[in-house]
Amino acid sequence: MNDKESDPAIHVNNLSKSYGSFLALKGIDLIVNRGEVFGFLGPNGAGKTTAIRCMLDLIRPDAGTVSVLGKDPQSDPVAVREYCGYLPGELRLDENISVNSVLEFLRELRGGGENCHIRAKELADRLDLNVKSKIKNLSKGNKQKVGIIAAFMHCPDLLLLDEPTSGLDPLIQQTVLEMVKESRRSGATVFFSSHVLAEVQAVADRVAIIREGQIVEVGETSSLLSGRAWKMKVMFAENTVMRTEEIEALSGILLDEVSSDGRELKLIVDGEMDELIKVLAGYHVESIETGRPDLEEVFLSYYGKVRERDHLGKKGNE
Amino acid sequence: MEKFVKEIIWGKKEMNKFYIITRYSFRRSVWAIIGWGIPLMLLGIITIPFYDLVAENERQLRPVLENLKPLVKSFIGGDEAEQIFTPEGFISLRYFAFLPVILGIYGSVSGSGLLAADEERGILDFVLAHPVSRGQLFWGRVISFTASLSCIIGLGWLGLWIGVAKAGSMNFPPFQLLLPYLSVFAVTWFFACFSLALSMCVPSRSSAAMISGILVLAGYIITTLSKAIKGLENWAVFSPLTYYQSNAMMGFEIVPFIKLFLVTLVLLFLARTGFGLRDIRVAGDGGWKLPFIRG
Repeated sequence: MNDKESDPAIHVNNLSKSYGSFLALKGIDLIVNRGEVFGFLGPNGAGKTTAIRCMLDLIRPDAGTVSVLGKDPQSDPVAVREYCGYLPGELRLDENISVNSVLEFLRELRGGGENCHIRAKELADRLDLNVKSKIKNLSKGNKQKVGIIAAFMHCPDLLLLDEPTSGLDPLIQQTVLEMVKESRRSGATVFFSSHVLAEVQAVADRVAIIREGQIVEVGETSSLLSGRAWKMKVMFAENTVMRTEEIEALSGILLDEVSSDGRELKLIVDGEMDELIKVLAGYHVESIETGRPDLEEVFLSYYGKVRERDHLGKKGNE
Repeated sequence: MEKFVKEIIWGKKEMNKFYIITRYSFRRSVWAIIGWGIPLMLLGIITIPFYDLVAENERQLRPVLENLKPLVKSFIGGDEAEQIFTPEGFISLRYFAFLPVILGIYGSVSGSGLLAADEERGILDFVLAHPVSRGQLFWGRVISFTASLSCIIGLGWLGLWIGVAKAGSMNFPPFQLLLPYLSVFAVTWFFACFSLALSMCVPSRSSAAMISGILVLAGYIITTLSKAIKGLENWAVFSPLTYYQSNAMMGFEIVPFIKLFLVTLVLLFLARTGFGLRDIRVAGDGGWKLPFIRG
């Protein structure tokens, strides 16, 4: 796209959308930079699809503004869609025609030339999809592949992918994630909505977490993880009640889980590691494992699951 | 203003997309054309040759017809019922009298499904995510429907022509047979656009089809009975079927045709405006909850 190259790929400002009395988006703000893979995390019903559909002018927001590739989707939706590839969360296609006919129709709508046709063929081969099959004879995963090809075949500047790996087998999931990475390498921006956290962690440069229509966290995937407490698993040679009490007394150390024989402790270390090491040194330690939490744990923490788990863990200890 | 200009003035690129949508939609309606067109054609081929039998038995049938009570007579043409003994009258009363009901139902179902069916199936969402405007999609679908309806009517006309050729005592040029079909077209188009406009504001496609279907049947009953019951004349003005000319072979009137056409254009404009303003649904969400039906 030539105009306003300096604009972010997506700029969402105070976006609100309701369906009747249900408030799906509660004034969200979001900036997606050009050339990045942006993960949009949230469980079902959090507002991910609503946000994407506002970006393509499929639905109209109640308040706020959206700018996609420097254009307002409401005033010029065709120009926005021209440069976007979209994969809906629940892809539905005309059942009575062949894959080839669907792709040809969509290619023609895009005004895509021979290159687009060749690329669609290449992608079909890569995703192992028979383009002669009728849509009604395809499995869910194969239908998803049709949507993926339609989204990628014209090499768009912006890819809006809503749960792109849904229904795909693990091998094809990897291929799709590869395609996402390749698109980024070629300069495209990818807006990637998912609740499969591992894949977002694998490809996303930055992540936003949406919860009940509100953005609760935005940041670089790596900093989101590095800013978090360490996880630690300590194995002792013998069970000592004294030791557990001593550890719990330390500030910033959370006792996450204690094994049934009392020898293994799982800890979350959000304070001084040094204090903990000194306490542990007083006992016979067999092994120590440490690591950062993965995105799934970060994500769950926003949904109160960790707290709930802690609560249950403590109850178990009592 | 800019949006309005964009809506009515399309460049080559926009026209091309409109053409693609129209062509694709028309291709999808091939089975509907066959499903509605062939029976309509057969109806003409089978029904019209019966005129020879009616003409032969006129002396026995005429007294029966004359002695019918006005209410009963209203269902077979009212004061015009005796024209069944003329070739034009027979075609009008035994063939064209029922067509607006049959094709009115077709129009109601097709019009309500023109956009809302794909919307409820979640297909429209994906198509509209491509660089095509709502206007191009809307007009593409409308023109495709108009072409499909023309094909169905064309097949019906062909059947009527064959039927007339088979009947020994009939001799009409093809153009004269086409005149009532112009009126059939206008009425069907009206019901299609009415249900299309409804589908843009009621919560589901089925409710739009249902309301439009009720209008077809209610309109038929009111228009028919108004020939026998005086008080109904005032209501019949609002029935689209009052403007239908089953007897157009005896003289086509342009005024009722234009009235119907203009109202249809208003409905189309309302439907287009509604489609432009609303959210695109991804399923058959929405609905009216009746207080006595739970669940």
